[in-house]
Amino acid sequence: MTRFHAVLTGLLLGWWLPATAQAELNIFACEPEWGSLAQTLGGEHVNVFTATTAQQDPHHIQARPGLIAKMRRADLLICTGADLEVGWLPVLLRQAGNDRVQPGRPGHFMASEQLPLLDKTGSVDRSQGDIHPAGNPHIHTDPRNIAKVAQALAARLALIDAANASRYAERHRDFDQRWQAALNQWAQKAAPLRGISIVVDHNSWIYLEHWLGLQQLASLEPKPGIPATVGHLSSVLNQLQRLPARMIIRAAYQPDKSAQWLATRANIPVVTLPFTVGGTDQAKDLFSLYDDTINRLLGAL
Amino acid sequence: MNLDSVDLSILGPAMLAGLLVLATHVPLGQQVLARGIIFLDLAVAQLAALGVIIAYSAGLTPGGWQVQVIAITAALLGALLLYLVEQFLPQVQEAVIGCVFVLAASGSILVLNANPHGNEALKDLLAGQILWVSYEQLLPVAMLFALILALWFGLRQHRHPLLFYVLFALTVTISVQLVGVYLVFASLIMPALAIRIAQSNQLWIAYGIGALAYLAGLIASAIFDLPSGAAVVWSLAIVSTFTAMAMSLRRRGATMTN
Repeated sequence: MTRFHAVLTGLLLGWWLPATAQAELNIFACEPEWGSLAQTLGGEHVNVFTATTAQQDPHHIQARPGLIAKMRRADLLICTGADLEVGWLPVLLRQAGNDRVQPGRPGHFMASEQLPLLDKTGSVDRSQGDIHPAGNPHIHTDPRNIAKVAQALAARLALIDAANASRYAERHRDFDQRWQAALNQWAQKAAPLRGISIVVDHNSWIYLEHWLGLQQLASLEPKPGIPATVGHLSSVLNQLQRLPARMIIRAAYQPDKSAQWLATRANIPVVTLPFTVGGTDQAKDLFSLYDDTINRLLGAL
Repeated sequence: MNLDSVDLSILGPAMLAGLLVLATHVPLGQQVLARGIIFLDLAVAQLAALGVIIAYSAGLTPGGWQVQVIAITAALLGALLLYLVEQFLPQVQEAVIGCVFVLAASGSILVLNANPHGNEALKDLLAGQILWVSYEQLLPVAMLFALILALWFGLRQHRHPLLFYVLFALTVTISVQLVGVYLVFASLIMPALAIRIAQSNQLWIAYGIGALAYLAGLIASAIFDLPSGAAVVWSLAIVSTFTAMAMSLRRRGATMTN
């Protein structure tokens, strides 16, 4: 074998091995928080692909061939559900034609189906804005929900990959212990935030508000999902002059123009939160995601 | 890098959609260039997109025939207006085309203002989602395009200018919904532009350029994990440029040896 061939073979092996030899379960995660959770619970038994990044709006995604290929090989699909990915997940599932992850199969795991949702309207009237009739899907902004999803996900992993069931249970026990300890720490640390009033960029924070006891006074969007208009921002500004808020909360992936517009006029700070794993340099995993979120909120007091 | 995605069952429907679009757009593109109305297609495509957006906002289901009727009506009205301008005010036709384009584009923004999924719908119609195309969706398109091609080449001898505008509006309305405004423009103009110096077989060379570019663009988007529509637009530009350069070098070589 020539040297060139040796190099080529080495390259090809290096390329294929991580995908085939190590991992046993291929997981397709729609959002970084679920990708991170799946990796934590699955460890070396899983190979996780995450379809969106923290810099992207998970409501929308550009079609790339790689997405179809990954979906085709997936043994387990983990998404938020509750219509968050309704713009792209159904077509992606159709194009991939992978039976294991179609709705109703064990490989189809929707995090929002594991707990009761807030803001359930049941209404499908889209004129009211980007309302998700099944309830608000942004459940991961409350870490107590992560614990619930983790429990259901560990059970699902054990169901699909029965050979490693005890390993998943073990990893989940370890994770849950550390998570409960972290929840206590966060609750203590975030105590000064209780009762403060905020303005939000989009209705994606109601679970966070519920967890930390924040009061949402207004949203920058006139209706959920509809970009801020000058008329709406002016009325929010008016409202804030009568009843001031402490800060404006914005997800790292959202444009910051409307938040800045209001911040300079209302003279309150804009707090950019990571929203999910990878949204800021500090939010490297699920634990540091909430560490960083609380630090940034406290920093703006 | 990802070689798994280079898979016929993933890229096949998109490639077939591309070939269908090319089949009609290359001859129409030659006509657009000959008439010197390059932005006609942007204006008509944008009008068709506006029609689709109006239909969606009225609550009609995507893919339904009512959506097609509204989109085709919008595109036909625009094409008719531009035909009349060509007949009676030829010196300002290009300016009117530009105005129609801008009005249709900003009209879409106005209509979508109250729609939470507006930005997504607008982006889909511009950049297109060629990868989400399915074979079943392509069957009626193939039949309609065959009819359009038969009319276009069948009436070659006595083609009324209005025929061009009508066929153009029909074709672009369908293809915009398949591959988006950017790819429609690129498929019309780039191959037709590349073959202007070819002395013979112009149409077939342009078809070849288009087919090669769609294939290369889709494969590149699979390997490098890029959005497919935008990748094919760039691939069309690259293949067209190199073909045009090769042909002009060959011609220069031929004249020098003479």
